[in-house]
Amino acid sequence: MKSFLIAVPLLIASTFVQADNTCGKVTIADMNWSSASLIANVDRFILEHGYGCDAELVPGDTMPTGTAMIEKGEPDIAPEMWSNAMKDALDKGVAEKRLRFAGKSLSDGGEEGFWVPQYMVDKDPSLATIEGIIKNAALFTHPEDPERSGFYGCPAGWNCQISSGNLYKALNLEEAGFDLIDPGSGAGLSGSIAKAYERKEAWFGYYWAPTAVLGKYKMVKVDFGSGIDKDEFTSCTSAENCLEPKVTMYPPSLVQTLTTEKFAAASPAVFDYLSKRSFKNSQMNELLAWMEDNQATGDIAMEYYLVNNKDDWMQWVPAEVAAKVEAALDNL
Amino acid sequence: MAESSWLKEFPEMDRVDLLAIRKGLDSAYREFSREYGEVIESFFDPLLTFLVWFEKLLLTTPWWIVIITLTALVYLASRSWKLSLSVVLSFLAIGYFGMWEHTMETLSIITVCTLLAIALGIPIGIVMARSDRARSVITPLLDIMQTMPAFVYLIPVVMLLGIGKIPGVIAVIIYAIPPVIRLTNLGIRLVDSEVMEAATAYGASSTQRLFGVQIPLAMPTIMAGINQTIMMALSMVVIASMIGVKGLGQPVLKSITNQYFTLGLFNGLAIVALAIIFDRVSQAYAKRTQRHM
Amino acid sequence: MPEPLIQIEGLYKLFGKNPKSVMSMVHEGRSKDDILAETGHTLGLKDINLTINKGEIFVIMGLSGSGKSTLIRHFNRLIDPTEGVIRVDNIDVMKLSPKELEEFRRYKMSMVFQRFGLMPHRTVLENVGYGLAVQGQSKAAWTAKATEWLETVGLAGYEAQYPSQLSGGQQQRVGLARALCTDAEILLMDEAFSALDPLIRSEMQDQLIELQGKLHKTIIFITHDLDEALRLGDRIAILKDGEMVQQGTPEDILLNPADDYVEAFVKDVNRARALTVETVMKPPSGRITADTIAEALVQMKALKGNHGYYVNDDGYQGIVTLDALEACSDDGSQQMSADIWQELPAISPDAMLESVIPETLEADYPLPVVDEEGNLKGELSRHNIAEILGGAEKHVEEKI
Repeated sequence: MKSFLIAVPLLIASTFVQADNTCGKVTIADMNWSSASLIANVDRFILEHGYGCDAELVPGDTMPTGTAMIEKGEPDIAPEMWSNAMKDALDKGVAEKRLRFAGKSLSDGGEEGFWVPQYMVDKDPSLATIEGIIKNAALFTHPEDPERSGFYGCPAGWNCQISSGNLYKALNLEEAGFDLIDPGSGAGLSGSIAKAYERKEAWFGYYWAPTAVLGKYKMVKVDFGSGIDKDEFTSCTSAENCLEPKVTMYPPSLVQTLTTEKFAAASPAVFDYLSKRSFKNSQMNELLAWMEDNQATGDIAMEYYLVNNKDDWMQWVPAEVAAKVEAALDNL
Repeated sequence: MAESSWLKEFPEMDRVDLLAIRKGLDSAYREFSREYGEVIESFFDPLLTFLVWFEKLLLTTPWWIVIITLTALVYLASRSWKLSLSVVLSFLAIGYFGMWEHTMETLSIITVCTLLAIALGIPIGIVMARSDRARSVITPLLDIMQTMPAFVYLIPVVMLLGIGKIPGVIAVIIYAIPPVIRLTNLGIRLVDSEVMEAATAYGASSTQRLFGVQIPLAMPTIMAGINQTIMMALSMVVIASMIGVKGLGQPVLKSITNQYFTLGLFNGLAIVALAIIFDRVSQAYAKRTQRHM
Repeated sequence: MPEPLIQIEGLYKLFGKNPKSVMSMVHEGRSKDDILAETGHTLGLKDINLTINKGEIFVIMGLSGSGKSTLIRHFNRLIDPTEGVIRVDNIDVMKLSPKELEEFRRYKMSMVFQRFGLMPHRTVLENVGYGLAVQGQSKAAWTAKATEWLETVGLAGYEAQYPSQLSGGQQQRVGLARALCTDAEILLMDEAFSALDPLIRSEMQDQLIELQGKLHKTIIFITHDLDEALRLGDRIAILKDGEMVQQGTPEDILLNPADDYVEAFVKDVNRARALTVETVMKPPSGRITADTIAEALVQMKALKGNHGYYVNDDGYQGIVTLDALEACSDDGSQQMSADIWQELPAISPDAMLESVIPETLEADYPLPVVDEEGNLKGELSRHNIAEILGGAEKHVEEKI
């Protein structure tokens, strides 16, 4: 098996002209959030210049793209699929040989949790644990009620509102003096982090990675000391009618590259690249922060990434492809 | 080729320079918020205390006392039994459908926003009416406030003051204050010049003219402005809840993200009910006090 | 001896952005149109000189655009002149500080406006008391006074009404009461009756004349209606395009118009209503004062005509004709008696021409004009009247 995997790139290398032909027109879903857009652009560039595909980005979002891939077989590639969001449908698609998962686009998976700023943990390492936070609840003053402490939950209507609310209950944060603050929107939540960070104020709340916010503002994920109880999480923590939630850390969400079976079968070389192409959360956080700082779009971030991280991406492709991509980069 | 390219494509600024400008402005604002954020925040502390107190008052007072008080206020202002009765019915319905708490939260913030908008807007309108120079400065500012999408100024406001009531109040006031300013200005400028001359000819000082003649005569127009301001404040409820303002906006947001049609409709209707009550009461009050004009 | 109260000297008003800088052009004598075309400034008033005496009704008259409303607003400085001196009671109004000017307006002058200028949000009573309230008087004080003045103008019972509930005439009575309520010495009336229908207007004029008989205010009255000017004015000034064309008594204006402009005005006036007998009467043609018929005949012969007005120590008695004297001439020593003279009604010198026309036309002889003490002042004949009333047409004919 292993030898076969090694053999594939050689095979492709030897039949390069043929591979070129088999690639042809490829559509890649450009999801409407920054990390997905960056990955989509990286894929586009490498497919176009490394594999000679006629790659095209099409706008996408988790549900519509997933559904379209199952039903219509296009687009060919969804580079960052949060598969938990439509797990059943995707599993069915794989079983019916319509879809194929290539690999994890984010090797750590989507990370959720309760976070505190790094500078607070630097001062008092105990704040990296939930016991430390509860003990020091007074630090986290509620913005509208000096008597209480504030815990920034997930915005109203989001899926995470349920899980963060259940964990708030399970961790007995209310008795510890914390009020659950609804930030109203993603912008409200990230705005509250930015504001606290700029002034080195205390902040405690729900957030997720990879995000520009966590790239820009170093935060520490609070350890509940419970480990991950995946069953408890799916059956109760993330369910609205969970009556007695128990403490569990958030299990990472699987973030994968998804292709149609048709494409995977037709372009094994490209599929191999997609299987290897993967980012670490810390790396993605930083890239996203760079994007936000520079107000960069996916294609600009792609350029920045490819130019500055050659060691990274060159491991994903055979040497010939790498050389072609590099040459194309030089011509930019 | 190089010369003709600007004919086909707009000769836009170099991306790097543009980025430098954006970054420069961003970091300047960051500096500013780091430097003065706390001072500005503490400046708003009394208002925050009041907002929290007022909301708690509405939330902790038994519902029937709230309804009785509101109805009494409505009757005093409008002297209309029909209107008072419909207020009672709307609030009973709101409570019955489980929106009492959110409605009280919204009521409290809208009341404070409206009062503040009036307290700030009328003096600004007066200044604008008295000086053409002030008008030429203020008018474009009002245009900006009314047309700038709220999300644009929500970002800096949140950076400066965090999320919650104060930034919510600021966002609502920015959006809702222009009508009361504009119509105060207009109302004063439209006061019959002969009546003003008469006041001057009898030796009225400028204060006597302002409070004895201009404001009372401009009142119908000013009331129309206040009415508009209230309506616009209510329409900002949903956007304000995006930066953590509690109230009817939250369930509406929730229903938008999740396509909960009925939840959205009920809470939307509650906002409409508040709007109609505010509108009818302020209009009835205006009509009653200005029947001679 | 008339005592000057208000003096205006060399008053100019230019409307525009920088009037001071354009004044030199005005002084060079450039025309209004030139100045407007070159600088965009409008010359509103040009070299106005006026003296208004205590206790008189001074009427400023002109067509719209003549600058009369601008002029009246200079008296209390609702408009500031570009140049010139305004003195009231020997106070240079131009030198008053804003605070002093307020005081001056509160106590020295009050004003009545064309469209009434009432405050729609105040009751009638509050409107009348406005001047006193502005002075800082207590509500009780101004209520009492305002009630009194409302009664004087005939609006008792309307205190609690609002101006919008009143007719135009009633509203202007409120305006008048408001002006009188402050007891100011000077009353400025800016086309005060122009917005009223003719009948109401003449009623208001009567009321003003009646009030003035009691109050003896100094009234500056603006109008575009010469009939009104002649009826009310002790003296009249006529403005044309911001310039003073003529100043004088109503008779001066009527009988000696200074130029074509004034003449054109005057020609439409109903002179019979504007002139008094005194202004058109002729000197008495014959006065018989003799005690006996013989002496009377001697006096009669000396006259040109064949009749004379008999006046004895008790004043005017009647008309004596030559025929009557000759019929009794047999007894020349006979005393003059009521049998000899005929009764002929006398008319008062102050009577309006209009009121004596029927009598004059019916009488066989010119009517004697006799004052209150019975002195014979003159006579008024049919011929006189025809001349005066036909005068305007004659002028027109001449022009044609």
